[in-house]
Amino acid sequence: MPGMHRRALLMSALASPVVLRHARGETPIKIGMPVALTGPAGEIGAQMRRGAEFWAKHTNAKGGLLGRPIELVIQDTGGDPASCVRKAQDVVERDGCRLLFGMTLSSEALAVVPKLAEWNAVFMSSDNGDGRLTGSSLVPNFFRANTSGPMGTRAVSLYLRQAQFKGFYAIGMDYAWGRNSIGVFKDEIQKAGQNFIGDVYSPIGTKDFSTYIAKIRQSGADACFIVMQGDDNAAFLSQAKQYRLPDKVQLLTEIVDLNSIAATGDASIGLIGSSRYSFTFPGAANAEFVEMWKKEYKTVPDTFEGEQWQAGQVLAAGIAAAGSIDAEKLRVALEHVEIDSIKGHVKIRACDHQGEQQGFMVKVVKKEGAAKPTPELIATFPADRVTPGCGKMTYDS
Amino acid sequence: MRTTLAVAALLALMPLGLPPYAMTLLTEALIMGLFAMSLDLMVGYARLISFGHAAAYGLGAYTCGNILLHTDIPLPFAVLLSGLFSGTVSIGVAWVCTQATGVSFSMLTLAFAQLLYAVAFKWTDATGASDGLAGIPRRPGPFGTTFFASKIGFYYLTMACLFGGFLFARALVRSPFGAVLRGIRENEAKTLSLGYNTRLYKIAVVAASYMLGGMAGALYAPFAGFANTELLFWLLSGQVLIMVIVGGTGTLVGPILGAAFFLFVQQQLSIYTDSWALFFGVIFIGFVLFAPQGILGLARRGRPTEQHR
Amino acid sequence: MDVLPFLVTQCLNALSQAALLFFLGCGLTLIFGIMRIVNFAHGAFFMLGAYVGWSAVRLTGNFWLALIAAPLLVGGFGAAFELGILRRLYGRDGHAFLMVTFGLTLVMGEVIRLLWGVEALQVQIPAALSDIVFILDEPFPIYRLFLAGSGIVVGLTIWQFLERTRLGLLIRATSQNAEMVHALGTDVRLVRSAVFGIGCGLAGIGGVLAAPMVTASLGMAPNAVIDTFVIVIIGGMGSFLGSMIGALLVAFVQVFGSYYFPDLAMAFMYLIMLTILVVRPGGLLGKEA
Repeated sequence: MPGMHRRALLMSALASPVVLRHARGETPIKIGMPVALTGPAGEIGAQMRRGAEFWAKHTNAKGGLLGRPIELVIQDTGGDPASCVRKAQDVVERDGCRLLFGMTLSSEALAVVPKLAEWNAVFMSSDNGDGRLTGSSLVPNFFRANTSGPMGTRAVSLYLRQAQFKGFYAIGMDYAWGRNSIGVFKDEIQKAGQNFIGDVYSPIGTKDFSTYIAKIRQSGADACFIVMQGDDNAAFLSQAKQYRLPDKVQLLTEIVDLNSIAATGDASIGLIGSSRYSFTFPGAANAEFVEMWKKEYKTVPDTFEGEQWQAGQVLAAGIAAAGSIDAEKLRVALEHVEIDSIKGHVKIRACDHQGEQQGFMVKVVKKEGAAKPTPELIATFPADRVTPGCGKMTYDS
Repeated sequence: MRTTLAVAALLALMPLGLPPYAMTLLTEALIMGLFAMSLDLMVGYARLISFGHAAAYGLGAYTCGNILLHTDIPLPFAVLLSGLFSGTVSIGVAWVCTQATGVSFSMLTLAFAQLLYAVAFKWTDATGASDGLAGIPRRPGPFGTTFFASKIGFYYLTMACLFGGFLFARALVRSPFGAVLRGIRENEAKTLSLGYNTRLYKIAVVAASYMLGGMAGALYAPFAGFANTELLFWLLSGQVLIMVIVGGTGTLVGPILGAAFFLFVQQQLSIYTDSWALFFGVIFIGFVLFAPQGILGLARRGRPTEQHR
Repeated sequence: MDVLPFLVTQCLNALSQAALLFFLGCGLTLIFGIMRIVNFAHGAFFMLGAYVGWSAVRLTGNFWLALIAAPLLVGGFGAAFELGILRRLYGRDGHAFLMVTFGLTLVMGEVIRLLWGVEALQVQIPAALSDIVFILDEPFPIYRLFLAGSGIVVGLTIWQFLERTRLGLLIRATSQNAEMVHALGTDVRLVRSAVFGIGCGLAGIGGVLAAPMVTASLGMAPNAVIDTFVIVIIGGMGSFLGSMIGALLVAFVQVFGSYYFPDLAMAFMYLIMLTILVVRPGGLLGKEA
């Protein structure tokens, strides 16, 4: 009876696992979170997960959303877009999630968004940088609560208008976000009449940056814009320091996060860059959040933990306004959400679903007696200056 | 033939009883099954151990992705065309690779696949580089039907490709052509001395294998709506080889089961634990130690040995 | 920057890269030469070396101790794996080894993630090597010179070990004709365990040495494996000298390729591999056709 045997095997393999539900009587609101927990972006994904878990716990303690508890369905994508599509489809079809978080890499998000309409699901991004997501690739069910790549780059370029550099070079990871951000940077620098010398892209997972560092030195630039994250960023900064690149060239970066500071140690001192979120940001809301976070995790929240919290708050405000998680209603509500967040005022735009918010510039410094360097706020730019025009990735002035 | 029909009937009834997520998984299992079976043609029947079979899959996926994105060709034709394209390209690849034998053949196929991978990484217009091709549609047709664009319809299309591919491959290995292949597998020098141009036979089987593998990749592109360089990466080549071995080489059916097993176990484990890779790895090691003949070997162990084709 | 200092520093860069690649390739090729198995888990052993090195530096505060402890531990683990599992599989076809080492890669990657976490871990360069020297007025990290030097030293050591010692002789003999060595009364199984241990230990050294440059991270393994394969295939599977040439070739192509043709560097590497294989199917110094 090979047929029978095989079918029995198949059926048991397909059987859904028994998931323990909160015994609250209400059906939970399930949020699917396909996120890179392994691979080069695993550390960022881990931050996103912690941020989401903390937000869910906090929200549930206050009675949940619409009186329903939040349940996160987290799956590892490994940072691979194809796997991300599969995992997203799985949480939608198997677990019935109609809300999505996660998608660590922009390439993952770009692969998933064309499917959102078919799934009737809303995706609230907390970290995707690629400008196209709210531009040429925008779909109705995508929302971005976080600072995008162009916005971070814009903050850097606005800051540079006050500084004097002879020439700029740029290095980025060779994928969606890296190329997009450097494209914006180049445009900004050239529009400001400054000298953009050249750019280079390293494949994701590059281990040895000596050639790239030589290239930057050779170019004669005295400032270099870096668009990297995760392991690649740590490797580049360590090696740049080993070649004494920072002595000759001011390093600027699109993202400053605590993790890469920890991974590079003192090699990060002096780095100037935009920050999507830092525990050092001003304001009572942030101070309160940092205190809560410290109580839970005995450490300060990092970039993507703060960004994920903000994304959660934006989503919560949308659900409260819609009175439902139905994609049609939620979409309309989210298009008019405004909240006061840990990063200041955040307003979702109806036209391209981008969250308008302030831009922050920080410098990595090591304070007297501190164990490790921390980012110090050096400039803040208002939302209307860092957010691009609707559906655009470039800036007019 | 009766068993084949029975299994086909069973699979055809699946959409009636299974929820959508299970259909998604099953569709992917059938695609991977076709891919693994295509490799078995080379590995199991001519002992051509390819380390670069991802090349077939990736070629098919990118070709189909581009056809669907840029033309109005109906989905089933796009899949067929991509398979044919992949098979045609492979003739050149096979011509070079079959100059070598044994480990060197494996290494040449790996080199080819990695070269394609490197090219795909930089050929932005055709492949979207590291971003990949996203939003690949399922074009309606032929004759205006939107059936194949639906979830169930796509499943039946995949099933048809798998069974078509299986019948083709089985006919191939049962034909006199297959007998020569097995001769090459057992003793190439002897086959050569019998007057067969073994190299031509090998090139032919590589082309057939790439055509079916390309069809699998071509199905994957509209299935996921996405194609990227991972589909050409050596890791996939390694995985599909393992699916073939887990299932049992030289059986055609075994690799299909191996692929399904691989996918289901991976999927189930990753639901229960973050550490799925740990258990997955242990399962492979266990398989090698305790089930050297693969899944099909396990299934046959309890029964009187039948003719091992 | 002038042309000469640029060329000199880039050549040194390439040498330091070649040293790391050589640690990997040499181990892999030794293992293949003796056992005819392609160790897919080689990258995982490299990664394990980096993590063990990080822990050793943390515990002892001494990089040099880490450099000794890591290869011993990694090599010991490799030898234990050979004794426990691979030993049962000799006589089986290559499929078995492919699957077992693939499975081991998954297991090791996950165990490392569980033990050390997902964050990239930084290993400090030892104080004695953390400075720079000026080569023709160009700053160059001493650590990279040290890497290049250690590659040469280890290369020479292994060469002498293979040529001069009894175990070296046995290894060479076993790779030529295992039955003969066995018939002469030597326990070939012991040679195999030793070689697998040594090969993995070499990957471990590579891991420790790489850690200060690239941090210990979970992405190390997959990239390392394919580069190592390319080296060993170019040089000829099983050829010690071949792995050295392969490492140099790949390092120089990567360094100068990614400088002058950043878009083509990767394709170029595989094209070279393909060309060499077409001309010499066994690799530059391989004996197999």
